[in-house]
Amino acid sequence: MFRILKKSLKTGRVTGQYAQPPQSRAALAPGAREKALPFKRSLVIREVDTGSCNACEMEMNALTNPVYDVERFGVHIAASPRHADALVVTGPVTVNMERPLKDVYKQTPDPKLVIALGDCAIHCGVFKGSYAVTGPVDRHIPVDVRIPGCPPRPAEILKVLEDIRSRSSSNT
Amino acid sequence: MTEPSSAERRIQPAFPDLIAERTSDRLVQFRVDKSRLPQLARFLHEKLEGRLALLFAVDCRPLEDKYEIQYLFSLNRQWVLVTVDILGQERLFTSITPYVHAAQWYEREIRDLFGLIPQGHPDLRRLVRHEHWPKGIHPLMKEFLWDKALGRQQGQYRFRHIEGEGVFEIPVGPIHAGIIEPGHFRFSVAGEPIMQLEIRHFWKHRGIEKLFEQQTVTSALPLAERVSGDTTVGHGLAYCEAVERLLQLDVPRRARFLRSLFLELERLHNHLGDVGAICNDTAYTLAHAHCSRMKEQVMQLNDQLTGSRFLRGALAIGGVVNDVSAIQRSELIDVLNAMEKDFAELESIIFANASLTDRLETTGVLTERTAWDHGVVGVVGRASGMDQDVRRDRPFAAYDELAVKVVSYRYGDVRARLRVRMDEIHESIRLIRDIHNTIPHGPLIAKWHHQPPAGAWALSAVEGWRGEILYFVMAGEGGRIHRCKVRDPSFVNWPAIQWAVVGNIIPDFPLINKSFNLSYAGNDL
Repeated sequence: MFRILKKSLKTGRVTGQYAQPPQSRAALAPGAREKALPFKRSLVIREVDTGSCNACEMEMNALTNPVYDVERFGVHIAASPRHADALVVTGPVTVNMERPLKDVYKQTPDPKLVIALGDCAIHCGVFKGSYAVTGPVDRHIPVDVRIPGCPPRPAEILKVLEDIRSRSSSNT
Repeated sequence: MTEPSSAERRIQPAFPDLIAERTSDRLVQFRVDKSRLPQLARFLHEKLEGRLALLFAVDCRPLEDKYEIQYLFSLNRQWVLVTVDILGQERLFTSITPYVHAAQWYEREIRDLFGLIPQGHPDLRRLVRHEHWPKGIHPLMKEFLWDKALGRQQGQYRFRHIEGEGVFEIPVGPIHAGIIEPGHFRFSVAGEPIMQLEIRHFWKHRGIEKLFEQQTVTSALPLAERVSGDTTVGHGLAYCEAVERLLQLDVPRRARFLRSLFLELERLHNHLGDVGAICNDTAYTLAHAHCSRMKEQVMQLNDQLTGSRFLRGALAIGGVVNDVSAIQRSELIDVLNAMEKDFAELESIIFANASLTDRLETTGVLTERTAWDHGVVGVVGRASGMDQDVRRDRPFAAYDELAVKVVSYRYGDVRARLRVRMDEIHESIRLIRDIHNTIPHGPLIAKWHHQPPAGAWALSAVEGWRGEILYFVMAGEGGRIHRCKVRDPSFVNWPAIQWAVVGNIIPDFPLINKSFNLSYAGNDL
């Protein structure tokens, strides 16, 4: 017990120890801000991987580490799409994941946001054109926010999550 | 030197008329008739204790009208490649699965991707092609167009069922809790203990091997780096090594050291993440918080050194792109020294916790025998007593000049896999210190001006953080890639999980799965 306390005291606070990203490159679809309105205090995210290389997943996981600590902004990550306000989709949509993606979209209660994370989700990236890839996410479900990068840095993701919600508050 | 022909000399007495087609100190190649193959494969596997490392097919058209099936066995430090020709209209080849269990997924994969049928295979269900793919589609046949849209048909995968009173099936996935990749797990349980697990993967199949064939040998590195994102350097380096062998390119010494540095940094951040995640799955979030903090620190270092948190774009064919100066290195060493102390403290905190170690010990045991039968590699293999590490056994990059201490444990439980990772974290930090002390000056990249001749091929092996990554690259006309076979360690380790979980309770599955921590993307390709 003493050791654990000592370790915690020695480590100190690490939250926020990251470089602030430059200008956000995220693109918002028209109406996205209005759609984000109900979520300005709390946003529950469900992450769906439809064929990414798993780097985007690692960066999503990094959001929950003590350095980025996404929960301090009222953003939670849910285990089920039925508990989610927003879907974060990564990767090009493969032929095998097309049905599960549409299912998940249907299972997510309205109103909901869809965030396409990473180059692959936006334009298929290096996997473009393959027989096993059906296309980017917006071919199958409407996308509200696009965050480019291969993969986007956690600080960038965090900024976008903050932006869409703060803009929505300034609109009210 | 007597070493080069050692494999040949061991095979000669049993097969006196077999003549090697290609011999080097790394690899011996035999071409045999398909009727003799089972006998030879069985001899290599059972008598010479050769591990089946890779089994794949090559569609040789239009150069030659045939398919080749290649069986790669690992004998001590030498590769034995057995090639079987499938000529003309022939579509059958003899399955070796009844003798060599590790061949099971490979042969099903060949059937799906090439339409060649493994005769005598006990399980001919589809593997890569899900049931909704129309009949007769075999994407790696040369006449199949890479960008052809697939149709859809009806169909259902036939899971193995256990029937009886009180036996239930629990389907999990493809989309499951947590930020994780998609895969389907089907448990048969009676009460809490798992009686059977069947894994249905390949949801993320993106046609990577076909995409490689649309590129030239020198342009496909970005694709290789995206086979499995967490193993960016591992896959990138394996691809570079294969292409450099094809181009007969000598990589400058400094570049080789830097490659080892990047590979160890990648191992470090992934192992740190895994140690934390294993603790997290026993609900010990304190260790998870500390580990993910350290992991983040390493990823930020990666970013400072190369401009990418995953070290993407740091490698190039012929060398490396980013130099790491002496000042950067000594800063890096300072951070890592502090981190090693930090981590050692955490280790003692973790193992002082009895309720945690109770969850880890005797959970998810993968016996040495099962591991050997599946040809398991990497961290998982080393935790089950398989003493193998490509860095030591077949040195690549700068590992011929760096002595790697290979860690191995015997018990094969979650704790052993955790211990392997912890020890490798210390070993990686030690290697990085070694690299800092011995790195020579010199150029970073070697230039090349020629193209590989059509039909030439090369094989490479790299010890990524998960284990042995294999690449087979064959050149086609005009420097294009004719065939690129990618084998992530996950592909051989996934089937082994099905055995490691039997008898364990369902709530321990996430823990066991995390202790393997395999890639879905690298498996599905």
